[in-house]
Amino acid sequence: MSSDPYSPVVRDYFSKAPHAGDLADAVTVEIAEQGVRLRLAATEEDGRIRALRFRAWGCPHVIAACECFCVEYEGRPVQSFSGFQASDIMRILSVPVEKTGRILVLEDAVRSLGRVLCSDSAPQ
Amino acid sequence: MNDDLIYLDYAASTPIDPRVAEYLLDCRHTLFANPSSNHIAGRESRAGIAHAASQLSALLNVDPRTLIWTSGATESDNLGIAGGARYRAHRGKHLVTMPTEHKAVTDVFRMLEKQGFEVTWLEPDENGYLDPATFAAALRADTQLASIMYVNNETGVIQDIEAIGSVCREHDVLFHVDAAQAVGKIPIDLRALPVDLLSLTGHKFYGPKGIGALYLADRPGCHVEPILFGGGQQRQIRPGTLPADLICGLGLAAEIAASSIDSDLRHLVELRDTLWAGIRDIAGVLVNGDLEGGFPGILNVSVDNVEGESLLLELEPICVATGSACNSQSQEPSYVLRALGRSDLLAQSAIRFSLGRPTRREDVEIAARRYREAVARLRDLAPGAAA
Repeated sequence: MSSDPYSPVVRDYFSKAPHAGDLADAVTVEIAEQGVRLRLAATEEDGRIRALRFRAWGCPHVIAACECFCVEYEGRPVQSFSGFQASDIMRILSVPVEKTGRILVLEDAVRSLGRVLCSDSAPQ
Repeated sequence: MNDDLIYLDYAASTPIDPRVAEYLLDCRHTLFANPSSNHIAGRESRAGIAHAASQLSALLNVDPRTLIWTSGATESDNLGIAGGARYRAHRGKHLVTMPTEHKAVTDVFRMLEKQGFEVTWLEPDENGYLDPATFAAALRADTQLASIMYVNNETGVIQDIEAIGSVCREHDVLFHVDAAQAVGKIPIDLRALPVDLLSLTGHKFYGPKGIGALYLADRPGCHVEPILFGGGQQRQIRPGTLPADLICGLGLAAEIAASSIDSDLRHLVELRDTLWAGIRDIAGVLVNGDLEGGFPGILNVSVDNVEGESLLLELEPICVATGSACNSQSQEPSYVLRALGRSDLLAQSAIRFSLGRPTRREDVEIAARRYREAVARLRDLAPGAAA
């Protein structure tokens, strides 16, 4: 059993985080809970996510989870956000169970972003 | 150990001095006999221990017979505080300490509270100091023991042990000092200081782990009840077979410290000042403790709008501590820094750089540069950063 609290995937996502930043003309949501602050930004084209960016104030698992979300969800249908599960990210990153609350903040932000995107693209 | 890492966690533990390691290994082979045995080999182990006691007593300027060997500072703190309080319990059950002490002290006091003792917890000022007048005002007719640490393990703040000890002597209060971060690092003269009980450990000053000592002043009314039972060793105060090799290692570490303490301090001041000069202009950075009067081997800094755990990872392979190393598995903000009035967020962002004899100037220059870069990157990642 490794004594390293961070999996290699967490270390990689945390150290590189190429999706950290902002997007022009994007839909954004911002949330602050559980000692975590997140901002997600998305652009959409023909019902699919064209690009995702994030900003985060939190522990390495939170930053890695945001990056992981961006990697996994770019190109997916907008509706897929409603099925986002924190548990999936936690499994990919081997996040310790005591940090569940922090990753749930990301789940809240993703679902909120999905709702905004869906309402923006709904027929007027 | 990873060649790339820069170890700046000397307050948590120091590497054993190569001379001590060599001597310890030699003693492990030659002084293996039980020092309580009366045959030649046992007497040789006893002689080795006596020599180590003379080396440590020279560092502290005490009679070697006042030293009780223990497994380290935690046991010394337990024996000094619990043993001292119980020895004097028939006179009174009021005790005094601070919430900024090491857990090895505070947890003993909490245990004693459950056993019927009453403890007054004295708050430090914003820099971590205890005003001796505040201390004096807390003493009562039934106060029997007080414990105040010499050098704070998180902030490096040095308490006025002489003034506080003098108050204790005036009121006939047993005075225990946790000196785990002080012995071998700053000059200590126990013939001049009014201290009754003093805890130390070998691995904080380049000696072996698993060995420490409790100084027990030779004066009326100063005694402790044992907390371990099972033999008559060490005047029945601390029974158990003594590890002659570890004790000899600690003795040599003490001798080396005695000869290098002044040059070590000059070295640490230069390193600490270099490190601080490299980071002091970062917006929102502040020192936890006191640069002027603190131990120069510790620089504890907080910075706003940066998350502590991410900062620690971003600083790798620089080995530093967040809060107390003994408590670093916890993600809770440091209780010591909270006691200094730091907010949870500032306390949680605290990084303790602790420097040592082997630390090089380039190590702290790299650490300062990495700290600046880490703070800048994490602030840039955070919501609200300029696009």
